[in-house]
Amino acid sequence: MEIDWSVVIEFMPELLDGAKITLYITSLGLLGGIIIGVIAGLMRAYGGPIINTIALIFIELVRGTPIVVQVMFLYFALPVIANIRIDPMSAAILAIIVNAGAYIAEIVRGSLISISKGLAEAGLALGLPYWKVLLYIISPLAFRRLIPPLGNQCIVSLKDTSLFIVIGVGELTRTGQEIMAANFRAVEIWTSVAILYLLMTGSITLILRTIEKRMKVL
Amino acid sequence: MSMIEFKQTSKAFGDLTVIDKVDLSINAGEVVVLIGPSGSGKSTLLRCINGLESITGGDLIMDGISVTGNAKQLQKIRQEAGMVFQQFNLFPQMTALENVAFGLEKVRGESKEKSKEVALGLLTKVGLKDKANHSPSELSGGQQQRVAIARALAINPKVMLFDEPTSALDPELKQEVLTVMNDLAKEGMTMIVVTHEISFAKQVGTRLIFMEHGKITVDGDPNIIIDTPPNDRLKEFLKHV
Repeated sequence: MEIDWSVVIEFMPELLDGAKITLYITSLGLLGGIIIGVIAGLMRAYGGPIINTIALIFIELVRGTPIVVQVMFLYFALPVIANIRIDPMSAAILAIIVNAGAYIAEIVRGSLISISKGLAEAGLALGLPYWKVLLYIISPLAFRRLIPPLGNQCIVSLKDTSLFIVIGVGELTRTGQEIMAANFRAVEIWTSVAILYLLMTGSITLILRTIEKRMKVL
Repeated sequence: MSMIEFKQTSKAFGDLTVIDKVDLSINAGEVVVLIGPSGSGKSTLLRCINGLESITGGDLIMDGISVTGNAKQLQKIRQEAGMVFQQFNLFPQMTALENVAFGLEKVRGESKEKSKEVALGLLTKVGLKDKANHSPSELSGGQQQRVAIARALAINPKVMLFDEPTSALDPELKQEVLTVMNDLAKEGMTMIVVTHEISFAKQVGTRLIFMEHGKITVDGDPNIIIDTPPNDRLKEFLKHV
């Protein structure tokens, strides 16, 4: 079969719809993941032995298993053991929330503990309660160190959504797969899919670079 | 009534006893200089006063409140005890002025304008009015330490605790910090200073304490002690500083 780039125009609307779903899963997943990650990261950095262990178990469970297994568990196993039935889209978003949450937790913890202990002591010595020291002194500094690894995680999570092909979520990769099954235009389709991913990850990189430039990273 | 009262105070890190049943009473207006070899417990003693280290035995009363109290009481103690650190520990994301205004705003609950106004006054006092809008990284070590002193003074403490304030500075910069401390002593501020600056002890200190192995072994008038050390260990120590 000859390579015919004109077919790209024909199936582009479909691919763009897939890309929209990819972005939808990624943004909701990361939003939840950041919330979970900040909570679990704080638990790891400042919690007592019990709280710390709870967070650690969550992180190790998630980091220690592949995301495909996690989403399969959420979609196929959860209905059986707990009678909780969720649609593929929710399972996909939940998988990103849980997965990104675990990784972001360690990023948050790392940024927090990287801030010099002396700064916290200086805040405490002024007579502030610890939560205010955390809020006004440590967090703003930790946030700046958080951005580069967080950006990395955003890109990883975006690409991880392609794995949800296994539960039939119509994201970009799945859409590409379906079009290909109909017309066998492998080169044209997978090239287009790859470029669309590059455009999305590239945008994340650009956004993060702008944030980084605005906040002088210390 | 004394401002700070150590009563058989001990501090241990695991099996290592750093402060060993210390009894010490410090009155308002005293300028106490703490000296001693490294590992003798002088910094730890200082850090126990504002609860940055929690004591493991005895009691320690600061301005009528025990450091063994709850978090609120500990905050109250810290609001009456300004601290200056060896490594300055200025908040790097804030300007000099913001560093000084920070405590007023967040601890004393003053308005932004009032805090800045008072902070500018304090920066003027330590000779750094023109550096108000500089960030800490743009200041020399001596300037940073003077900002740190202004920051500690901003919350209007009754006592100032200095933990080796000039140890990270070269001789020239040391002097500008010592001058500020000297002025502070002249105003009648109660000060406890961990230092190796014997000349400061002599000129400014009203009381000299020598520590060894977590105990106070010498306590008295700096001029008398330095000129005629009462024990050999101190005599030996003074030779090297």
